[in-house]
Amino acid sequence: MAYSDKVVDHYNNPRNVGTLDKSSQEVGTGLVGAPECGDVMRLQIKVNPETQVIEEAKFKTFGCGSAIASSSLATEWIKGRTVEDALAIKNTDIVKELALPPVKIHCSVLAEDAIRAAIGDWKKKNGVAENAPAAVESAK
Amino acid sequence: MLKIVDSAVPVACWSCSVARNASTLFCPNCSKIQPPATGDYFAVFGLQPRLNLDLDALEREFHRLSRRLHPDRFARASDSEKEWSLADTALLNDAYRTLKDPLKRTEYVLKLHGAEIGEEHSGNRQDPSRAPADLLEEVFELNMQLEEMRMARQMGDDDPEAAKSLSEAKQKFEGLLEEVDRDLRVQWTAWEEGGDAQRQAAQKQMVALLDRRRYLRNLVRDVTETLGA
Repeated sequence: MAYSDKVVDHYNNPRNVGTLDKSSQEVGTGLVGAPECGDVMRLQIKVNPETQVIEEAKFKTFGCGSAIASSSLATEWIKGRTVEDALAIKNTDIVKELALPPVKIHCSVLAEDAIRAAIGDWKKKNGVAENAPAAVESAK
Repeated sequence: MLKIVDSAVPVACWSCSVARNASTLFCPNCSKIQPPATGDYFAVFGLQPRLNLDLDALEREFHRLSRRLHPDRFARASDSEKEWSLADTALLNDAYRTLKDPLKRTEYVLKLHGAEIGEEHSGNRQDPSRAPADLLEEVFELNMQLEEMRMARQMGDDDPEAAKSLSEAKQKFEGLLEEVDRDLRVQWTAWEEGGDAQRQAAQKQMVALLDRRRYLRNLVRDVTETLGA
């Protein structure tokens, strides 16, 4: 099974690898893992408290090429979106974009979970209910 | 794929029509070969499905059945019997490899009892308790350390310090693996000897331990690769 060109591209030139300050109020961190294959993925977002726009997104993934490509693509896609828009990203969108074969679909699931976990962490930090639309009180 | 049936359900031997256990490869009455068994792997060897398995008995039965399935013995048999001898041999080998290995055996037994583990479930959305935060933090941290060591090694070519820390990391990961294996064996006994509640708790523990083991196994693989490179 060969990786698609897009997977290879993301694997060789991963976008947005790195770390954001975990303790910052504006940063949400999602750490997820796939117990069946032993992959682990961390995705972080930095959200503008006024606009709810994700201004920064970073990831670090220990896993196969598809897992790295999925998280790399996820950070590209969520940057510039509002938190609510980012939640609309589905793993199937990632599968389509990267042409992932069926055995690698779980990598895209992991990336979607990572986005959700990061946003969930940010919401928790900022006192937004998990299911409520993100409406943080702007800085006083 | 494996079908879970009650191995005690008798079926008729195709040759002598005497009822036999559906998991046996040979008819106990007329000794004729039978189509591949439909029971679980343990029943193929006539063994009780146990995690604390009698490995000597497994070995003995495997060799005994292998000899009986040898192609030379079917040189003059019917086409069906020839075909069955090949299919039975494949089944016997799969069953032996699965049961002999303590981890494969644990996974196999848990799957028989409904645990959703193994590659075929990797596409499913996981039960969140399968990836507890503290385990992920630990594994992520270990991976970060390993990456730093690898980079240090790439920079400084044959920096003995970097090689040393990698060897130490390898030892540490292997130690953690051994710890998991010890814990698994403790759960085997709890699972086999406990009541229903204990059994359920042990099953959950074992699934968690196998998950942890996969993360650790990857770390050992990566550090070994780095050291060998």
